[in-house]
Amino acid sequence: MRNALLVISLIAIFAFFLYVAVNPGDLGGNTGDHLIFGEPRYSDMDDYFIHNGQNQTGANNIVTSIVFDYRGFDTLGEASVLFTAVLGVGVALRLLRRDKNDE
Amino acid sequence: MIFENLTQVLLLIGLIISAYLAIKFKDLLACAIALGIFSFLLSLEFYVLQAPDVAIAEAGIGAGLTTAIFIFAIRGTSRWEVEG
Amino acid sequence: MSKIVRTQASFLYTFVLIFGFYIVAHGHLTPGGGFQGGAVIATGIALVVVAYKFDEIKRRIKKTSLTAAEGIGLLSFIIAGISGIGVSFFYNWLANSGLLFGESVTYGINPGYLNTAGTLPIMNLAVGIEVLGGLGVIVLYMLHFVKGGERNAA
Repeated sequence: MRNALLVISLIAIFAFFLYVAVNPGDLGGNTGDHLIFGEPRYSDMDDYFIHNGQNQTGANNIVTSIVFDYRGFDTLGEASVLFTAVLGVGVALRLLRRDKNDE
Repeated sequence: MIFENLTQVLLLIGLIISAYLAIKFKDLLACAIALGIFSFLLSLEFYVLQAPDVAIAEAGIGAGLTTAIFIFAIRGTSRWEVEG
Repeated sequence: MSKIVRTQASFLYTFVLIFGFYIVAHGHLTPGGGFQGGAVIATGIALVVVAYKFDEIKRRIKKTSLTAAEGIGLLSFIIAGISGIGVSFFYNWLANSGLLFGESVTYGINPGYLNTAGTLPIMNLAVGIEVLGGLGVIVLYMLHFVKGGERNAA
């Protein structure tokens, strides 16, 4: 009984998301505010990167030139997040191991 | 175009099957292997969707490192799932 | 693990490492970069760690060296960012300058040359070293926790 309810609710939620993704704006609001699935919004920034990335950074890989040059500060944050995560794992496992040895 | 669509449909069916198996198995080692297969199929799907950066990261971390860490955790605890 | 797994691991280990360093070194030309290449190298480390016996791993791979790699990687990444502080933080002052990694690139589709992109390859290398140290040390911590606990319990 519970499993059948679970499956039915999952199918309903999936169908709802699929309907909204294919027919945006049917549930109120302007059609222009919603994006059709698979067609992201056009912006000027990506054209700027594509046209000037090679000349300004000298890298053929535009993704790397964005990640390490235009948005380098974000990468610094990501690297420090990884550093902090490893620090946390080390501290936690060391403490657990000490508790285990004490018993 | 037909080939691409067929590949995507097959990959998605494989994703659902491997995710279901990862939940359903009682042998936790088999669960870890099923999760590794899930990550590998997901990286292939990323590659088909033309995101090779994400595909490499997914294949390295999801299929390689996570499986190894799960195997260590299973080695340290018990191999079979206990009811209740 | 069995002898088959050990033989395969010691055979594949070098190839995985070379592939990872290739991804790191060509981060500004081909898909991938520091994070992805570091993850691939850490996968190679995890392969060896899974395949071999605990005492052999303890003798071969030192935890302190991986921790040092992590620290050195993050530090050199920050230094590479600070080195352009004359204009702004993370300014790419080596690009198109004619110095190390300083050749200019024409707009459009071209094969790409390794000696370009300014500070990007240096940052790629720094992040690659940091990620390989960090993810490798997580795997080693898990192994030491599991195996050390077993030994004390037995």
